[in-house]
Amino acid sequence: MAVKFRDYYEVLGVPRTASADDIKRAYRQLARKHHPDLHPATERARAAERFKEINEAYEVLSDPDKRGKYDALGANWKSGMDFSPSGGDAGYARAAEWDDLGDVSDFFASLFGRGTRRTGQRGVRVTIPGSDIEAELPVTLEEMLHSARRRITLNGSRSLEVEIPRGAREGTVLRLAGQGEPGVNGGPPGDVYLRLRMIPHPRYRVAGDDLEMDLSLWPWQAVLGADVRIETPDGPVTLTVAPGTQTGRRLRLRGRGLPRPDGSRGDLYAVARIVVPERPSAAEREAYETLKQRAAVPADRPAGG
Amino acid sequence: MSTPPRTRPGAPTIETARRAEAYLSAEELARAAGIRAATLARLIGLGLVEPMPNERRPAAPTFSAAAASRLRRMLRLHRDLGVNLTGAAIIVDLVERLEREPEEPSR
Repeated sequence: MAVKFRDYYEVLGVPRTASADDIKRAYRQLARKHHPDLHPATERARAAERFKEINEAYEVLSDPDKRGKYDALGANWKSGMDFSPSGGDAGYARAAEWDDLGDVSDFFASLFGRGTRRTGQRGVRVTIPGSDIEAELPVTLEEMLHSARRRITLNGSRSLEVEIPRGAREGTVLRLAGQGEPGVNGGPPGDVYLRLRMIPHPRYRVAGDDLEMDLSLWPWQAVLGADVRIETPDGPVTLTVAPGTQTGRRLRLRGRGLPRPDGSRGDLYAVARIVVPERPSAAEREAYETLKQRAAVPADRPAGG
Repeated sequence: MSTPPRTRPGAPTIETARRAEAYLSAEELARAAGIRAATLARLIGLGLVEPMPNERRPAAPTFSAAAASRLRRMLRLHRDLGVNLTGAAIIVDLVERLEREPEEPSR
């Protein structure tokens, strides 16, 4: 496999003649700028790549041994050129096959091997923890209600099944311990953190532990009272609407809201909303005309206004 | 030395159901962050790590998984950039604010 040359001086933005102090200063400035945890989640992956490059460059250029070996390659190499280590050190040439824990570039591995990462002395294996993976997980209300299992794919290659825990809400973070990026040299793997984002439901709105839904009533139902069949997350129920129900009145269905961690549940509120027939039949129109004639309009409650 | 077989990228591996943690005990949080319980207790005392409000889980202090993610970030900033932990907590707060209120696109 062809390995691409990396210009570590270019990565740190210093000339080949830079002193150890110059290199340290350049590294610190770049690390301070590109550390992944300084960036919002959407930019973190890109910053992580850059941060890795910067660290690799610093690791080589800050170590006199490694820098010497790197400089001995000559100044004619340009970033991205196909590179194969010359000379007889077949051990280094095979380095890319050692393992696939992949936190250093193949170029680095071809020069120094993978086992010498972040060490002064060759051959001492230092462990580096793997990175955390942070992602959003869109979930439906049904998945929250039923602690559903969701299949997720990480980095397009690894698939996990995750159970949405009881009591999860919009913004709840789920931790999958040890499921993040692998560590180097036996370092512990990172974690996965999934932030739940709720996909809006066409019928139910979430308010804390409670759910809200609209309860549409015809004027005569609101005035006279009615038994109305509604859909709840637990199936259909018949709701008794009291006579004289106004728009905005909240009818509570206890224990039909979202589950809490302790196993209890919030409530479901059906919010009354009076709707009028847009195209009344002739008979309905007649009934309303009669109502208009006969209604004793309350003086303290003017219509319109 | 033998290494465990690894699947090449492109061939998805399927794993069985994972129990996702939304809440952690102090002990679990310390383990998640790779620090000693006494260190965690000190960070809690300094207000740099906050337990969840007690209404939901009245017994021992409980932490959200978000607190674990946050603490791990703080410790990385401390380790990688030499920021002290108070500074790291401020940075994590600012980055979270940035995530909530994305910058107006100026271009």
